[in-house]
Amino acid sequence: MCVLDAIRALTCYNAVIGSGKISSLRTQSGRYMNSTYFRPALVVIVGILGFLIAVAFNTTTRLDEARPQRASDLVGVVQDMERQRGELQDRLADLRNQISGLEHAAADDSGIRDTFTNELEQAQALAGLSAIRGPGVEVVLADGSEVAQGGNPNDYLIHDTDVAAVVNALVAAGAEAVDVNEERVVATTPIRCAGTTILVNSVRLGSPYTIRAIGDSAELENALLSDPQASLLFTTYKSQYGLQVSISKLDELEVAPYRGSLRPQYAAPVEGDGG
Amino acid sequence: MMVLVLALTLGITLGLLTNIMVPAAVLTYLGVSVLAAIDACLGGVRASLERTFDDKVFVSGFITNTLMAAFIVFVGDRIGVRELYLAAVVAFGIRLFDNLSTVRRLLFRRWGWE
Repeated sequence: MCVLDAIRALTCYNAVIGSGKISSLRTQSGRYMNSTYFRPALVVIVGILGFLIAVAFNTTTRLDEARPQRASDLVGVVQDMERQRGELQDRLADLRNQISGLEHAAADDSGIRDTFTNELEQAQALAGLSAIRGPGVEVVLADGSEVAQGGNPNDYLIHDTDVAAVVNALVAAGAEAVDVNEERVVATTPIRCAGTTILVNSVRLGSPYTIRAIGDSAELENALLSDPQASLLFTTYKSQYGLQVSISKLDELEVAPYRGSLRPQYAAPVEGDGG
Repeated sequence: MMVLVLALTLGITLGLLTNIMVPAAVLTYLGVSVLAAIDACLGGVRASLERTFDDKVFVSGFITNTLMAAFIVFVGDRIGVRELYLAAVVAFGIRLFDNLSTVRRLLFRRWGWE
């Protein structure tokens, strides 16, 4: 009640200020009151309004401070990581060269090991550790150039699922080695979406995507054109959205080696298995 | 008039000093509610000047308007029409300027500028 009384006193004081003519009121004391009387409720709620405005202001200010900083931080982190990965890849390539040098040196020691070396090389080629050549197909997937009036821009882009479908169809048809923009597809390769780019072996790739596969070229082509998902790219989507896609059969092509690390963190070989 | 400015200043100062914040997700609700509150207060000032001010009408109007504004934002979020809050912004915005111009005219008349 005390507060209300104080407000009432304030508002009455306020009532003396001003110099209106039309809306003057005669007070008990007989003086003319020339200003409006504001009810305590209005005064209190205007105070609350001020408080709300301040709270909204506080929040907005904090958000504005927080946002750009976080974004630029993350960009920095990504750039750092990408540089580090580049350095590590270079080191990895060096070490692999050393290994193959040592293997050759060891093989030179005795002719008996030739067989093993050959097997090793074949296994490495299939596992993706060395570049590999042979007949096969080259598939090029590129975004459509122009979005039609009222069209959904997403329809005119090559997505991770498209690339994955093509790779999958090729492997299903017996492709022995596949790479996407020189990123070798190995057992641990993910193909996924990252904003406007596609991640293959955690390397960001952009359109156009060149997928090369080694195998029976006629069979591979057939597989692409009969796969329910991949075939859409070369038929419906191509004509409807203007995607720049092509399949070429080649007698000789080269598939790049895997440049990432192959150090399993959890997997361990089973003792006494294989040989 | 002075007492209103004083109350507003007091409220803002209190809010800034206590540094109270709301979660980012609630910010749209608060913003639209603030707009509704500004509109209600201008309506209150106008009613005071016209000598038709009534406590019950004003307080209930203030509460329902701010809650309704927040509710419209909520409904828009739920039914996937995020832009529904624009309906509240436009409605209260128009009313706000309407009230403001009336208050301005009433004050001119009071001060004898007319």
